[in-house]
Amino acid sequence: MLFVLALIAIGFFWQPHDPHAIDLSQSLQAPSWDHWLGTDHLGRDLASRLIVGAQSSVFAIAIVLVSSFGIGVVAGAAIAIGPWSVSATLRWLAETVLTVPTFVLALLLAALFGAGLMSIAAALIVVTWAPYALSLAALFDRLRGEQYWQASLALGAGLPGALHRHMLPNTLPVLGALAGADAGRAVILVASLGFLGLSADTGHPEWGAMIHEYRMFLFSEPRLVLAPVCATTVLAFLLNRALDRNINV
Amino acid sequence: MKWLTASRYVVLPVASVGASWIAVVAVSFLLIRLIPGDPVEIFINHMNVRTTDELIAAYRAEWGLDRSLVVQFAIWLEGFVSLDWGKSFVTGQAVTAELFPRAGWSAAIGFSGMASAILIGYGLGFLAALKPAGVAACLSRLFAIGGQALPAFAVGLIVLWVLAAELQWIRPFSGGVVERLLLPIALVAFFSIGSVSRLVLVGFCEVLNAPYMRTALAKGLGRGEALWRHGRRHAVIVLLAGIAPDLAWVIGGTAVAEIVFGVPGLSERIVAAVAERDYPVLQPYIALVAIWLVVGLRLTAILRRSLDPRIDLSLEVGHR
Repeated sequence: MLFVLALIAIGFFWQPHDPHAIDLSQSLQAPSWDHWLGTDHLGRDLASRLIVGAQSSVFAIAIVLVSSFGIGVVAGAAIAIGPWSVSATLRWLAETVLTVPTFVLALLLAALFGAGLMSIAAALIVVTWAPYALSLAALFDRLRGEQYWQASLALGAGLPGALHRHMLPNTLPVLGALAGADAGRAVILVASLGFLGLSADTGHPEWGAMIHEYRMFLFSEPRLVLAPVCATTVLAFLLNRALDRNINV
Repeated sequence: MKWLTASRYVVLPVASVGASWIAVVAVSFLLIRLIPGDPVEIFINHMNVRTTDELIAAYRAEWGLDRSLVVQFAIWLEGFVSLDWGKSFVTGQAVTAELFPRAGWSAAIGFSGMASAILIGYGLGFLAALKPAGVAACLSRLFAIGGQALPAFAVGLIVLWVLAAELQWIRPFSGGVVERLLLPIALVAFFSIGSVSRLVLVGFCEVLNAPYMRTALAKGLGRGEALWRHGRRHAVIVLLAGIAPDLAWVIGGTAVAEIVFGVPGLSERIVAAVAERDYPVLQPYIALVAIWLVVGLRLTAILRRSLDPRIDLSLEVGHR
């Protein structure tokens, strides 16, 4: 995990080759010392493209996780303490969103904003805030029954203070675990939607888009496809391992 | 009284399904039309003709884009119901003629994938409940972890590479219908078996601890027989309650499977339609997906109700 993170961090400053440099005389080279993973049909260095692609993937995933977590916490708090009309509407919204296929949503957003990584991220945010909101609301319902919660309100603590003092420590670990489990899934979803052709932004390589671009070489030059496939799988697996403690449940 | 019962179990569900469907379709209709790019301009640019205001106005009139959104929606809805889905902006062909053959492929993959996942997952869940340390329990856990941690397209591509490129056992792009459908169905099923079997396992395990199970065992029934006789219904109920995410997965999973294995299904055409702002192609697809989800969710709720009359559907605002 650390190794992968280090690789991504290094990639910001240095790549073995310019990932965008097209050199047709060097097309489809086998892996060598010069080109660690060989080159693609346009002579671009595969390893450099992978490293740069990791940045956009990780960037998108970070955006998705942070925004859905933030929206989820706010919406969850609104469900828990808001007036009935707000909380019922939000709860209905959250439960509805959970049943919308991500693929269709991403299609719609890609149609709205143009195909690209940001449409994919937006589609994922729209879907993934709901579990946070619902579990926060559920946890809060339980908290409300606890005596220390009632006591702190009875003793005159304001609602914001009580929320800060009692709700955050009680809910954040659970939500954090949820986010950890989501990180691996987000890698997969981002790459899947890119693979389906929804991240048409070819200027900046992204793993899913790379697989989409290289898929016709599966039979002649399998390494072009298998390298980003393996990268995605390994990153998803590592994130699951590192962050999701209860994957065996 | 009789009429009341009929209205409660037939009219109301149908009406509520219809209402949710129209809501979903109307929202997507609006969203699609909020798209910044104008399909007329994109189309004219494609033809490399000089854009004039008259040309744009002519196309807008021909495609019905000059009317108000409400009228457009009403016209579209009537057309959709009477199976006249209009013409594609880009290819100019009737959308029904373009989408129907593709929908056949997609439906075959989706339905068979879902059905095999439920059958295999149910069996696996039952066996896992019967022998918590057995092979089935282990398999079920592996499927569940794999379904969560592996990207579907990666599995598909690797399988394709191994079976078709390395071993050359199958010809996925040129073989017969069965040969072309086998791998996509397996892929869709693979990612649902895990969650289905876990749900079924939970259902059976709840029964294992129930008092009537002890009675059945004391009566002299074998463990497997007792579990099957008393648990199969409950397992179905638990499965139905938790299957919503899988209903949604089938849509995305079918799309992935089609693109990986080169099946001429809906997804490929839809992705192209997005890029070209081809509303008449995009809109029926969303309407079809909405039918699948709305009817699917309603159906699972009704089935649960008929299996366990204690469940009161009117209390459930939404569905998980």
